[in-house]
Amino acid sequence: MDVLIRKLQSISDLRGGDIDVLKGIQIQEKDFLANYDLVREGDRPVSSFVVLDGLLGSTKLTGDGKRQITSFFVAGDIPDLHGLHLSVMDCNFTTLTAARLGFMRHDALRAICEQHPRIATAFWRSTLIDAAIYREWVTNVGRREAYTRMAHILCELIFRLRSVGRIQDHVADLPITQAALGDALGLSTVHVNRMLQELRRRGLIATTGSRVHALDWSGLTHAGDFDTTYLHQRNPAV
Amino acid sequence: MARFFFDSGDHDVVTEDEIGIECAGLEEVRRAGFEGLIDLTRDALSEVDGQQVFVEVRNENGERILRLSISLQIKLMR
Repeated sequence: MDVLIRKLQSISDLRGGDIDVLKGIQIQEKDFLANYDLVREGDRPVSSFVVLDGLLGSTKLTGDGKRQITSFFVAGDIPDLHGLHLSVMDCNFTTLTAARLGFMRHDALRAICEQHPRIATAFWRSTLIDAAIYREWVTNVGRREAYTRMAHILCELIFRLRSVGRIQDHVADLPITQAALGDALGLSTVHVNRMLQELRRRGLIATTGSRVHALDWSGLTHAGDFDTTYLHQRNPAV
Repeated sequence: MARFFFDSGDHDVVTEDEIGIECAGLEEVRRAGFEGLIDLTRDALSEVDGQQVFVEVRNENGERILRLSISLQIKLMR
């Protein structure tokens, strides 16, 4: 649960008592392979899950089967927390890498929210920030050039992984496929490769296998039109 | 599945694909190349008569196996 507590502390004001309550939540841990649909559109889940390890995407499919990844979720995030109040899922949640998740029952979470208003506020802030990320992604996919778009998404991932302590520097292991990156950016796989190549050529990133190293963080944030305001961190670490 | 490399070029730069993409056959290579060309056109085609953008595919042995290109014609009609 430490990663969930760390995440909530990074976005809200929790006290010692709240942390004890969070530590007491019963969670059922499960491991999943990459590309597994955890929740599908139309499902009525009775629990929400926290990401303990790995990378997830919320995804939607068009009528003719094209996939758009609408947001990423990293360790500490509770991607389907809105399921606590919206009973029918309106998107899928899919593992993009192998992942470990912790499932928490809705009735338990509801009881906690009723008794501990600061935790309820922290959960509310978490879903509001998820919505802010969706707004940023609409802008990214709809209006930014492919090069900026790619740089932006890398900045966001690195920043979010840093803020929950998953990476110490600007090196992130991102074993996601080029096709998944394309689905997140609305770009063809060929163009994803081209944009990664372009970022490398300009000395902003180095890649080794699935490892992405931001060699020039300020250059990359500039290239990605990346401003951390929408992530609403209390003490931005980067 | 084999790996194919999709180099792409516009008016002044050719970008070599060092990563490559796994494709099941020529049909899939062609589709991936075409989708790449559409993105490239949107991104890199500039308003210059005769300008061409292209995607050129190499196989694992470095042999060029496919080229897709699109070029712009601008003609004054009067």
